[in-house]
Amino acid sequence: MDNNKLKMTQMPDMPKMQEMPKMPEMPGMPHWLLEDEKYSPQSDRDAFISKSIVGILSILSRIRTQDSRSTPKYSVNAAFKVAFTLLLLIMVSISQSTAFVTVIIVYLLVVLCTMQAIQIVKILKVSFIMSFFTFVILLPAALLGNTYSIVMITAKVFTSITAVNILSHSTRWNAITSALKRFFVPDIFILVLDITIKYIVMLGDFALNMLRALKLRSVGRNTSKYTSLSGIAGTMFIESKEMAEGMYDAMQCRGFDGEYHVNSHFQFTAADGAYILIQIAIIILFVYLGRT
Amino acid sequence: MHIPDNYLSPSTCAVMFTAMIPVWTIAVRKVKEELTKEKIPMLGICAAFSFLLMMFNIPLPGGSTGHAVGGTLIAILIGPFSACISVTVALLIQALLFGDGGVLAFGANCFNMAFVLPFLGYFVYKFIKDRVHTQKGEYIGIAIGSYAGINVAALFTAIEFGIQPLLFTTSAGQPVYSPYPLSVSIPAMTIPHLLVAGVIEAIFTVAIFAFIKKVSPGTIYEGAKQKTKAVFGLIAALVCLTPLGLLAVGTAWGEWGTDEIKDIVTGGNALGFVPEGMRNGFSFEALIPDYAVTGLPDIAGYILSAAAGTAILIILFKIISSLKKDKAGSNLG
Amino acid sequence: MIEINNVSYSYSGVTALQNISLHIEKGEAIALLGPNGSGKSTLLKLINGIISPDQGTYTFDSEEVTGKKLSSAQFTKRLHQRIGFVFQNSDTQLFCADVYDEVAFGPRQMGLSEAEVDTRVNDCLSLLGIQSFKSRTPYHLSGGEKRKVAIACVLSLNPDILVLDEPMSGLDPRTQRWLVEFLVHLNKSGKTIITSTHNLELVPEISSRAILFDENHEIVGDMPSGQLLEDVDLLKRVNLVDQYYHCHQGSDHKHFHDHSF
Repeated sequence: MDNNKLKMTQMPDMPKMQEMPKMPEMPGMPHWLLEDEKYSPQSDRDAFISKSIVGILSILSRIRTQDSRSTPKYSVNAAFKVAFTLLLLIMVSISQSTAFVTVIIVYLLVVLCTMQAIQIVKILKVSFIMSFFTFVILLPAALLGNTYSIVMITAKVFTSITAVNILSHSTRWNAITSALKRFFVPDIFILVLDITIKYIVMLGDFALNMLRALKLRSVGRNTSKYTSLSGIAGTMFIESKEMAEGMYDAMQCRGFDGEYHVNSHFQFTAADGAYILIQIAIIILFVYLGRT
Repeated sequence: MHIPDNYLSPSTCAVMFTAMIPVWTIAVRKVKEELTKEKIPMLGICAAFSFLLMMFNIPLPGGSTGHAVGGTLIAILIGPFSACISVTVALLIQALLFGDGGVLAFGANCFNMAFVLPFLGYFVYKFIKDRVHTQKGEYIGIAIGSYAGINVAALFTAIEFGIQPLLFTTSAGQPVYSPYPLSVSIPAMTIPHLLVAGVIEAIFTVAIFAFIKKVSPGTIYEGAKQKTKAVFGLIAALVCLTPLGLLAVGTAWGEWGTDEIKDIVTGGNALGFVPEGMRNGFSFEALIPDYAVTGLPDIAGYILSAAAGTAILIILFKIISSLKKDKAGSNLG
Repeated sequence: MIEINNVSYSYSGVTALQNISLHIEKGEAIALLGPNGSGKSTLLKLINGIISPDQGTYTFDSEEVTGKKLSSAQFTKRLHQRIGFVFQNSDTQLFCADVYDEVAFGPRQMGLSEAEVDTRVNDCLSLLGIQSFKSRTPYHLSGGEKRKVAIACVLSLNPDILVLDEPMSGLDPRTQRWLVEFLVHLNKSGKTIITSTHNLELVPEISSRAILFDENHEIVGDMPSGQLLEDVDLLKRVNLVDQYYHCHQGSDHKHFHDHSF
């Protein structure tokens, strides 16, 4: 095929296109549209729109990035990670030994330093913020003589939040949800979970655009902020119902019969082995330090 | 109202989780009965809706913003049992996937926000609506229902917090978990909810419901087709038995239970705890009681510091080099 | 009126705009063309002050629009009043319980008296031929009707510039034709119109000047609309048309045929 051989051929004379029916006369422009608007906006407190937008944006971004991440070479099976993270949370919560909590914090820092910078920043951001709030909440107790709580609970909060976030940043979420199958969670729950995550994105996008539309038209003082927000939330709900119907139709067309089969092929790797050994060491340490 | 981890003892968390199991089981059964399997996508999507609703910043007088939970709203829109499942899923995703905290406290959070809040709110609403057969009556029902729902949920949260120092203390008398007893936690939680959060919740719920009713009334839940007396009974039972369960587990958990309770009741001050070690004043050892790293040899301390130091250096290096690369920065707009 | 100089923008590591420069005068009618993902929507968001450039400058009416300025409520509100944005998805644009309130939302915010608001709303509704929808719920209207409501509720702000993102999508041919006439009418009355569209046939009617984006998020063409549409090679290069593209102009038209197989 040689594109240079493209030839232009003259089509036989086409009949002239029908005259388009005359559109109704455009009404004359109202005078105010023809004049420049001399408008100076009043101040109003509508930070809530931007805050909501930023909040939803970060959620959507989080869901999207975790999905696009590729699985690293030496990855540990998600089921192990979920199980041991939970176990770690329980041990940290029970433990009354500062030594144990310190060891776990160091362990988590070591794990953190193997992750990407963006993830590290995000994880530490949440951990520090939560720890700070915990510190503030416990300050009254500390000032009245209880210094144990403010140290231990703050440290534990830092530890737990970091541990869960490491799990959620280093594992694909669909791997986490399918890992729940090992915990006797019925398949149907896992289906609902997966659907929810997907629709947080879709409904979230919808909400985001609505919030943006609200912001763009918030050109002055809005005396009915609650009405606007509830209009957005209400429309979201109605939209979500329509999405649900659409989704069910699609599922039916593909043979959905109420059963959702979660695939769980399982291969024990060296990484799994190493991970489990470390976890066992932690458990032993927990028991050992808890004896006192 | 979300309870973070480490404020409730694992045994409390376990009890609350166990209390939720019958609720979840019944909810699933009811959902399957009342609605066909086409409702499965709807549960997920309503969970997404519930999740996003909790993210909305709501303007408060004075310029700050707050959040609503929307549990009663969802119960009125899709029925309390479906609402229970949707809010549960939303909370699970918040805790486990978004790492906001509350993984161990998941059972407790579900009890408060996926059980008490939607069910109580819904039944108060239904109660009022069935007796005042006007449109105004319906809206009053919604307002009172959601207000009551969230305040009772807050009360339960406060109780869960408040019994911690009563039940779980170290051998030195320090509360292991939340240190604030009932006398502190109850006013601290209920007053803001009665005055502020409850009002926001009520307004938000009524406003959204009104919008949906006007725009698309067909999407609203019609009401349970069967009698719900039995469920009432279950709910009442759960509500009464759970605290008992908590107490039972708490006292069974350590020999120190009864002694400390005596101490707190008789010798303690208004806050409920004056640990023995503190009586002698502020000393460094008392500040961090176990800092002597009891039980671990010194060399462990050195290894720990080395590992921590190296890890922190690597982390800082990674962060700084990524900031340098990213000069344009990321625009979230 | 709008000066965009060497603007680049990326989001989460993905480039959306690459070194864009553009100058739009008051009263022009511009069309933005380009394949999906080429940056058209991002540019529209930039113009409307939803995002601010990573590099380069955006100047509106001799005042630079920076991220910092956008954090000032006063500045942003005035910007939003002067530049109206009609979204591609009308569902996300409408959040009020009835059409009247929807169109009245903007003017009410601006502090106009209820009488003036009423005038504006009625004017906009009759301009768009949707007076009968006054008490209807926007959510239940058809696609074309919603589009009209969306335009009305932006128009009631009396913006200087009207930005429309794919306004023809989802409209039947008759409504499309109506919209073309309407945009021409608005432009003749002094409004600056910026339209992003895929609909090449309508481009010369709704714009005097067309700007072409390519898949590398750069501007590769900025010329009178008729001229751009004649430049088939350029259009093919940016993947906007395929080899079967032809344009109906009058009674004869050219077809490209390949008989080599």
